[in-house]
Amino acid sequence: MSDRIVDGVRKHTPSILLFFDESPFSLLWLWLSTEKRKQIKSEKIGIILYIAMASPGGQGGGAVSTRGAGARRMKWALELSLGNARGRGDRQSNQGDVMYPIGYSDKPVPDTSIQETDKNLVEKRCWDVALGPLKQIPMNLFIMYMSGNTISIFPIMMVCMMAWRPIQALMSMSATFKLLENSNQQWLQGLVYSVGNLLGSALAIYKCQSMGLLPTHSSDWLAFIEPPQRMEIMGGGMVL
Amino acid sequence: MYPPSLVVTFTKKSSVKMAKLTSLFVISLSFFCISEAVFEDQVGKFDWRQQYVGKTLFAHFESNTQSSKKMFVATDKNIFASFNSRTGDLLWRHVDKTGPEGSIDILLLHGQDALMVVGDGRLLRSWDTNIGGLNWEAVLDTGSFQAACFVAIQDTVKLVAVLKKAALSLHYLSNGHQKWVENLPDSDAVQYQAVYSGGEEEVYVLGVVPNSHLTIIAYSLEDGEIIKQVTTLALCVVVGQGVLMCVDPATLALYTLPIQAEETPEFSQILLQVSPGFQPVLVSSQPHPARSPLSEFFLQLGPDHHVLLQLNADGYTIAPLRDFQPAFLVSFATTGKKTVAAVMTPKNETLNYSAVSNPRWLSPLSFPLQACAINLFSVDSGRRLLDTTVLFPLELNGGKPHALYVHAFLKKDDSVGYRVLVQTQDHALTFIQQPGRVVWTREEALADVVTMEMVDLPLTGTQAELEGEFGKKADGLFPMVLKRLSSQVTLLQAWLAHLWKLFYEARKPRGQVKNEVTIETLSRDEFNLQKMMVMVTASGKLFGIDSKSGSILWKHYLENVQPNAAFKLIVQRTTAHFPHPPQCTLLIKDKDTGLATLHVFNPIFGRKSHIALPALPRPILQSLLLPVIDQDYAKVLLLVDDQYKVTAFPSTKNVLQQLQEMASSIFFYLIRSDQGNLSGFRLRKDLSTERIWEVVLPTEVQKIVAVKGKRPNEHVHSQGRVMGDRSVLYKYLNPNLLAVVTESTDTHPERAFVGVFLVDGVTGRIIHEAVQRKARGPVHFVHSENWVVYEYWNTKSRRNEFSVLELFEGTELYNSTVFSSLDRPHLPQVLQQTYIFPSPITTMEATLTEKGITSRHLLVGLPSGAILSLPKMFLDPRRPEVVTEHSREENLIPYAPEMPIRTEWFINYNQTVARVKGIYTAPSGLESTCLVVAYGLDIYQTRVYPSKQFDVLKDDYDYVLISSVLFALFFATMISKRLAQVKLLNRAWR
Repeated sequence: MSDRIVDGVRKHTPSILLFFDESPFSLLWLWLSTEKRKQIKSEKIGIILYIAMASPGGQGGGAVSTRGAGARRMKWALELSLGNARGRGDRQSNQGDVMYPIGYSDKPVPDTSIQETDKNLVEKRCWDVALGPLKQIPMNLFIMYMSGNTISIFPIMMVCMMAWRPIQALMSMSATFKLLENSNQQWLQGLVYSVGNLLGSALAIYKCQSMGLLPTHSSDWLAFIEPPQRMEIMGGGMVL
Repeated sequence: MYPPSLVVTFTKKSSVKMAKLTSLFVISLSFFCISEAVFEDQVGKFDWRQQYVGKTLFAHFESNTQSSKKMFVATDKNIFASFNSRTGDLLWRHVDKTGPEGSIDILLLHGQDALMVVGDGRLLRSWDTNIGGLNWEAVLDTGSFQAACFVAIQDTVKLVAVLKKAALSLHYLSNGHQKWVENLPDSDAVQYQAVYSGGEEEVYVLGVVPNSHLTIIAYSLEDGEIIKQVTTLALCVVVGQGVLMCVDPATLALYTLPIQAEETPEFSQILLQVSPGFQPVLVSSQPHPARSPLSEFFLQLGPDHHVLLQLNADGYTIAPLRDFQPAFLVSFATTGKKTVAAVMTPKNETLNYSAVSNPRWLSPLSFPLQACAINLFSVDSGRRLLDTTVLFPLELNGGKPHALYVHAFLKKDDSVGYRVLVQTQDHALTFIQQPGRVVWTREEALADVVTMEMVDLPLTGTQAELEGEFGKKADGLFPMVLKRLSSQVTLLQAWLAHLWKLFYEARKPRGQVKNEVTIETLSRDEFNLQKMMVMVTASGKLFGIDSKSGSILWKHYLENVQPNAAFKLIVQRTTAHFPHPPQCTLLIKDKDTGLATLHVFNPIFGRKSHIALPALPRPILQSLLLPVIDQDYAKVLLLVDDQYKVTAFPSTKNVLQQLQEMASSIFFYLIRSDQGNLSGFRLRKDLSTERIWEVVLPTEVQKIVAVKGKRPNEHVHSQGRVMGDRSVLYKYLNPNLLAVVTESTDTHPERAFVGVFLVDGVTGRIIHEAVQRKARGPVHFVHSENWVVYEYWNTKSRRNEFSVLELFEGTELYNSTVFSSLDRPHLPQVLQQTYIFPSPITTMEATLTEKGITSRHLLVGLPSGAILSLPKMFLDPRRPEVVTEHSREENLIPYAPEMPIRTEWFINYNQTVARVKGIYTAPSGLESTCLVVAYGLDIYQTRVYPSKQFDVLKDDYDYVLISSVLFALFFATMISKRLAQVKLLNRAWR
């Protein structure tokens, strides 16, 4: 699991890293050197894991990462040994000090036997994806409460994030549907997913409203009122 | 600067409006940028001040040596000043009270002491001429001043004699104590005119009984006893050994009479030939108070005819020495033992410009010149002294020479050298040195500016050429390409020249770069911060001044302007309509006859435009500038005569047609202060008018002091004010609103009042009426946007108070697209608040910007000469007494009755403007910046930024740091990119 998430973080969240880590320089360093990227120490993974969990984008990011890998990626495994993790990573760079035996195939052999438990697992997993946005809502409410109604850089960023996430998720609905296509209740799950996202964006709009960012009052349109045209021409003064 | 609690409330605002964000940004800038004053290194960067003294009445030079540099003048503005005669700079200046209370009756100079009689014989003052300090001041007895002279005892000047209407008094020169005072006999009948002392033990007083006889009274110096009294016959001077020389305009004869004669002397009469209608004038000279006057004197027989005469030793016969015709002015000058006569004569030759040694300020375009020559003549013989001719150019349109002050001195070879100060009718002073070098010129007419306008400068020649290219019709493809290429080349040339100039100027010290503005190089800068100030002065002289440097670029003297004439300056066409030149019109109304004349000129070059002027046979009451333009883009000026008929200028067919079409929507109002009458008129199609309303304010109770409409070039960006609950309170922006201020005729402190009437100028409807009881003028007020601010003296509490009136339409607009005074059924809501101001004020004006987004400030001229920039935010009738959530939201400052004066708000730091009479504000091309000119005795020009410079980088912006950081980052990315590539490649090989 850690590997997948690390992958996800790697692919999608440089911005999140910048915002959430206390030392952006360490992450910049992390980002710049591909060498070091592969040798992430377990505590770093832990930090990133934490970030990914805390950040509302973790779920969506995961969904997107799976999209690229296709069905193969559905089969994931938890590998705790560092050496193996590195071996997997080496696939891309074609660099390895481990000599593979002859006939070794890097591609996993598909498991053709379908079992009942697997089906349940898929179903569970799909529900997880579908309920993700809804699960975010209490968290968002908490953040909303904490950030207050002041206009300053952090609350604005929070609101932007809150508004942008659901919109982004709604725009990539097709990818999510692809993810859910193995499920029986695909349509229901899709509906729940989109309702969750809509609720999230409604929450963001409510937040904007309470911060006074929505042009709902007459004063917001004051700047656009043209000065009235004068009908009469008048002049004169004291008799010179 | 602001209460700290307010700053906190601002940062803790609970909600902010989206649409308000931009304006909020502006406000917050003004809120947080605490310092308003200029920094030390900004002094003089975009502001300048010029100091003037007014029309010279008396002028004296310090001493008769070649090296002396000081000269002293006393002027009609009650100013005693000292100039450096080498540069014309002011050394020091004493500004006395305005009006007759401070008027200078006479200025006498002896050694280090300058004696002055002030306020029609009220005070006698002695000044130290070295430092300009007051030695002593003595209060004189009442009685109007007639004459004064120094009195010497045994060759040393110790006393000064002051002759009043009914008394003669002697004062010690050292401490001002009175030696004696004597009443003059028969002071009701006899007009005492002159006092004379020739160094003997007697003081002579001369009195005239018109058409009857002369009285000469001799007083003893010691105790003021009348030694003798002689009564004889008619304008007199003392010549030679106590011989009275009189000229009688009635009989046109010259009379001589010895003063010291024992018995009643006989007049000897000499008949004169005088040009008709001219009163002959005698000019004599007494080089030293302890000695007798010269026996030579000048007699003026015509406007430019003078005769030098000599009284023979016998005291009765007169010998003519020399006849000067034509001669503008004559003057005596003494140095050591020698006395010379300086005579100014016109020369008919035209001047070669290369001969003029100082041609920088003389542009051949604007000043037609006439040569004048000054020669010195020996007084004894009347012969012309060799090598004393001064030939200098005199502006033809500057008026005739008015006075000549000669500073003669002995050169090393014992010959007489001299410098002259020429005063012309336009109050200008010119200091000329041999051989005809104009050392300096002071335009003292600028001490009395009546009205002014600021006009945009024209585009540069190349810019104008480009404009012209697009304006012309196409004449084939190839020529057009050629034309385009050529204009691009000229643009490139201009740019290169500009770069070269920048480079060249950067090497020069800062002081030298200035003073290089000429009328030819004048062009608009990119932010339109430099403008042409067109100033109209009371003497009838017009000036064009560059607003950036303060240098006078053109001047034009209008002759035959009455001293009490009323002026109205109108900009008919701005510089925006190339190739039509800009056009200004000055309406001059003669108060006595009521007849008006128009002077149409180009405000950039000052040249008179040759446009057919309308005939104005009837007295003109008012003028009205319409936004209607003719085919030449000149706005139409309507002139209303005393029969309420209207004359249009220009009055082409096109204009008349336009006027007929829109006649029903043209209204004008006239206010007759003497009748307490306000009336409104509507234009008819045949250019006659009909009276549609009239308001009468009874003159027995109150009189109309002033009326102000809104400035036509004022823009209001925001149509309302945002309330704390995010609703809008719309402003009542009536463009036809007039603020009429009245003062009560009863000046008793308990019954005096000040009234402010807000009247609609189209319908005559009184929108609001505010009467301030127990208040007295003078009322200064500003009317702008939807508010009127006025200042008055509270007679009960004895303090100055500011009051502000603001008009609002309410939370809904009646008609948001058009404003018609004829269709406004609802009266506006009026809010008012009053504050205590700790100082009296002399004038008030509001800042003005291009789009009206920037917050407004009031510019208040104080009697101390400071100009205060007072934020309008402090004068807001919505300032709450109890602070609420909503008022905090609106950034309203809690009400405090006292208005603060903070020294940082003085926009002119220590450059005080003496006797501020008016403040003129003009918008610049930058929204944040407003150009300000304060005029009075001095002229001060600066820029103000009411909301700080939100659209300009600061002066101390660190360009070097920012650009070096940018470059460093850029190169760092380039290098790291390259390194990363190398590293990737290496790893791929591994």
